[in-house]
Amino acid sequence: MKKNKVMSLILAASMTAASLAGCGGGAAEEPAATQAAAKPAEGGAAPAEFSYPMAAGDKLTYWAELTTTVSANFSNLGETPFAKGWMENTGADIEFLHPPIGQLREQFSLILADGNLPDMMEFNWMKDYPGGPEKAIKDGVIIPLNDVFDQYCPNIKKYLAEHPDIDKMIKTDEGHYYVFPFIRGDEDLCNTIGLMLREDWLKELNLEVPETIDEWHTVLTAFKEKGVDCPLTFEYTNNQYLDANPFVFAFDTFRSFYLGSDGKAHFGATEEGYKNYLETFHQWYEEGLIDPDIATLKNDQVSAKMTNGNAGAAMGQAGSRMGTWTSAAVQTNPDFVLKAAPQPSNEKGKKAEFGYVELPYSGRASVAITTSCKDVERAARLLDWAYGEEGHMYFNFGTEGVSYEMKDGEPVYTDEILKNPKGLPVSQAMSSYIRGNYNGPLVQDVRYLDQYYTIDSQKETPLVWGSGSSNGAAHMLPPVTPTADESKEFSTIMNEINTYRDEMTLKFIFGTEDLANFDQYVANIEKMGIARATEIQNAALERYNAR
Amino acid sequence: MKVKRSKGERIFSVFNYILLTVIMLICLYPVWYVGVASVSDGNLLTQHSGLLLKPIGFSLDAYKKVFQNPMIVKGYGNTLFILIVGVFLDIVMTSLGAYFLSRKHVMFKKGIMLMIVFTMFFSGGMIPFYLNLKDLHLTNTRWGLIIPFMIITRNLIIMRTSFESIPESLIEAAQIDGASHITILTKIVLPLSKAILAVMVLYYGVSIWNSWFWASAIIRNRELYPLQIILREILMQNDVTSMSSGASAADAESIAMTIKYATIMVATLPILCVYPFLQKHFTQGTMVGAVKE
Amino acid sequence: MEKRSLAYRIQKDWSRNKALYLLVIPVLIFYIVFHYKPMYGAIIAFKDYTPALGVAKSPWVGLDNFTRFFNSIYFGRLIRNTVLLSLYNLIFGFPAPIILALLLNEVKNKKFKSLTQTITYLPHFISLIVVVGMITDFSLSTGLFNDIAALFGMERAPLLQDPKLYRSIYVISSIWQEVGWGAIIYLSALAGVDSQLYEAAQIDGAGKWKQLIHVTLPAIAPTIIVMLILKTGSLMNMGYEKTILLSNPATYETADIISSYVYRIGLLEQDWSYSTAIGLFNSVINMALLIFTNKMSKKYSETSLW
Repeated sequence: MKKNKVMSLILAASMTAASLAGCGGGAAEEPAATQAAAKPAEGGAAPAEFSYPMAAGDKLTYWAELTTTVSANFSNLGETPFAKGWMENTGADIEFLHPPIGQLREQFSLILADGNLPDMMEFNWMKDYPGGPEKAIKDGVIIPLNDVFDQYCPNIKKYLAEHPDIDKMIKTDEGHYYVFPFIRGDEDLCNTIGLMLREDWLKELNLEVPETIDEWHTVLTAFKEKGVDCPLTFEYTNNQYLDANPFVFAFDTFRSFYLGSDGKAHFGATEEGYKNYLETFHQWYEEGLIDPDIATLKNDQVSAKMTNGNAGAAMGQAGSRMGTWTSAAVQTNPDFVLKAAPQPSNEKGKKAEFGYVELPYSGRASVAITTSCKDVERAARLLDWAYGEEGHMYFNFGTEGVSYEMKDGEPVYTDEILKNPKGLPVSQAMSSYIRGNYNGPLVQDVRYLDQYYTIDSQKETPLVWGSGSSNGAAHMLPPVTPTADESKEFSTIMNEINTYRDEMTLKFIFGTEDLANFDQYVANIEKMGIARATEIQNAALERYNAR
Repeated sequence: MKVKRSKGERIFSVFNYILLTVIMLICLYPVWYVGVASVSDGNLLTQHSGLLLKPIGFSLDAYKKVFQNPMIVKGYGNTLFILIVGVFLDIVMTSLGAYFLSRKHVMFKKGIMLMIVFTMFFSGGMIPFYLNLKDLHLTNTRWGLIIPFMIITRNLIIMRTSFESIPESLIEAAQIDGASHITILTKIVLPLSKAILAVMVLYYGVSIWNSWFWASAIIRNRELYPLQIILREILMQNDVTSMSSGASAADAESIAMTIKYATIMVATLPILCVYPFLQKHFTQGTMVGAVKE
Repeated sequence: MEKRSLAYRIQKDWSRNKALYLLVIPVLIFYIVFHYKPMYGAIIAFKDYTPALGVAKSPWVGLDNFTRFFNSIYFGRLIRNTVLLSLYNLIFGFPAPIILALLLNEVKNKKFKSLTQTITYLPHFISLIVVVGMITDFSLSTGLFNDIAALFGMERAPLLQDPKLYRSIYVISSIWQEVGWGAIIYLSALAGVDSQLYEAAQIDGAGKWKQLIHVTLPAIAPTIIVMLILKTGSLMNMGYEKTILLSNPATYETADIISSYVYRIGLLEQDWSYSTAIGLFNSVINMALLIFTNKMSKKYSETSLW
């Protein structure tokens, strides 16, 4: 069995440029990089000739979360022009199944329990399958895709050969491919969350965009003196924003695990830097610079405060926050301008060491083929299409002449998208024709983003929030996976620690717990087993590096 | 006959009216809030915080959008089907159980009662329940939302308590006349229990109207979604969009808060209107007492 | 008479109540199929349940899931919070609908009565997400509650971030949402009280208060007691949804209850065995409470569930 696999790998290696060294335990030689992978060559297990569309065959079932920008106009992904075109182009017939919005993980669990799986399932197999992807394979839920890629998927093989860093991310420690991944195809697509503040107020107060913690203090104090209720506001209970909290990074630490300069994983919330962060935030809280309701705020309230001038600075996405707030606020206040602020550093003029960057592969919205799938080839060909040139354009821009046109060799969205005749907002119009604007099994194209951002301050966000202001990428832990055995222990320990950390963090900030007790807090976290969790994380990191 | 009212009673009466009016206002506010918000101008509403007494701006756009949503109409259809069939079956099953449990001199009554009560406090949990529905082919069908939920034990016990208050002499007399249990139930017990029936229709109706969890668990075909799932989806939309990836999230128009409130109104008003119709039956409860002597 | 054999008694009972038993068969089938059959699945509390293996084939782990829960550093706090929150809910939440029903019963103006009834039950129909959203809004330091507090010269404070206030907010908002709905059953019971009894009492010269004590309350006592027993038996079954929506890390100290803990750790992490084990633990406590209250009720009021 193992021998067969190694044989097929060597065969595959001869026609693709994938770096498969990690897989066969070193049995496969470093293959020479060639660019001739576009078509399956003769001799392999793959049929010599293949072209889309496929011949008619059985209907495939495809389970995925329906995004809200689709559900606003369609009750099923299959009704969208996007899905119809996808089926037409590939020749596959798909029945789409969706969980109710917000019930993704609940329904996922139930589907697993009943054993009668859809053929393809779009999910975060890396993070949200208990025990991780390798366990999903061992449990007999999904199939390993190595042979499938070799036989039926020239497009994704070619892409992975050209991007060895991504190739490494989407495998398990044992070298198994398990999904057709969602990949952010450009650095700019990884920098979509950051700080923003009112530029019109800065001008009025004669202040520059703040770059350090001290300057932030000055700016927020000036806002406060100007009569703003809560100068800085954001939801302190939304993990998405907390993981990206630039003020923690400014003290050279993380709230959870990060990659240290020594190449090892560290838990940030017990470090001196985190204490300094708490001290600063507590001080700001006392001075009324931070929203007093920070722990109970929800999206609605933050939006209200930012647009009605009760708050001057916040954190969020360039699309859904900066864009939404600006377009809502300018209707009553034409001077309203939001500007992106860089990751604050601890020294003026110095690039911050830490910062927030999304990984190109985060595991989300990636499609696995399940063990219930009877026609694996058909499913594989269907999914592989998106990673080829034709499919890539289709998934990111739609149909030429309908949703986009080529101008000077670049795809430009038509008015059907940008000024929809039926009055659909851009995001909804996009979601009718493409998937590149949210997620799915595809490589996201940055040229979409350039057209989606319409305001100047939005356009500059990727640079201001990204590598322009920090070396954050160097400290992001890659997508490591604990082994199936360790993962339960790890999540048990970390669930307790995370709850405790979140609770204590707020108490320190509010001052209900004295910062003098920080050592006690650290001791408690140690008692809960942070050392063991870090050990598991480091072992996973070592295995990852060895891939 | 005229009864003199003492001073104390009059003071109490005034106080009572005032207190109830205050309670009424407090209870009315959320509905008022939702109603007013649903006809307000979306952008202005976003910028508003605090007490909302009258619409800010006025616009019916939200309602137009809600009725344009094809899912709302389908959801209404599904919910009505489940509601009408469901309430009927629920009442039939619950009456049968309650009638049995209210009879005296039945040997295994206590055992059966214990067996029924036990289920209120002990259950196998979600996954086994789900797998059971799967085995019975009750997933992905509206019947799966009706049959497994035909009896709510709490309601069964309330109904039994009510049946027990019907004078035994009436039933014994009927039995001597040779009436069957079915006849006694339908001709004597149920007509004397209109008040409790009205309560049951309301309890079952509202629980069906408001239920969403099992529908979200067993229905895969979006065409079969009841209204509550669609309402939830729209309510959750705000949270969900902020959770999806940065650059991809929805823009202003699609998260307009007014749509949220309009949907709540559309999904809640019909069931609100049922109550006044049932309410008048409650007074007929007096009949039960009248027969007693 | 007691000497007669069991078989004889069963035979006699059957010949007497045959039709009655036939009538209840659908109900029994319902309970067996939809309640008792799935109960077998609760054994996953003693297993490491893996869906792919199924209930039967998942490996046994004995009491591991229970010891894990008992050893959790949050165990004591979860029990305390669950019990206290339920107790407050019971002590304040249980009498509220009875009082409302009694007050309504005194209203002579029929229109006013039915209007009040209709309006007080409205909050029950507002989705919990919306209700909690409004509570959160009003509890902000700039919210309605603080506006009112400020009128009385109190200092503005974010109410939902204070662990000391959390239980009050939870209980009061629950009463507000459920009081009108809960009153329905008592109003229906009150409607059944014989009006002759009141007239007789009036003739005897009993005032309103005496009528309440001697006529009204005894008449609706069975309903009250049954409702009380039912409520006590589900003391530990506080739903997770409201807690998840209303609490935040700053209030976990008093807010975190068993079901929200199970939701966070069991359900979102898909640790089915662990959550089933905690559910089982809950059920056992509920059973004990139920048996206790039922016994007490039997002893003192002769009304009982069985």
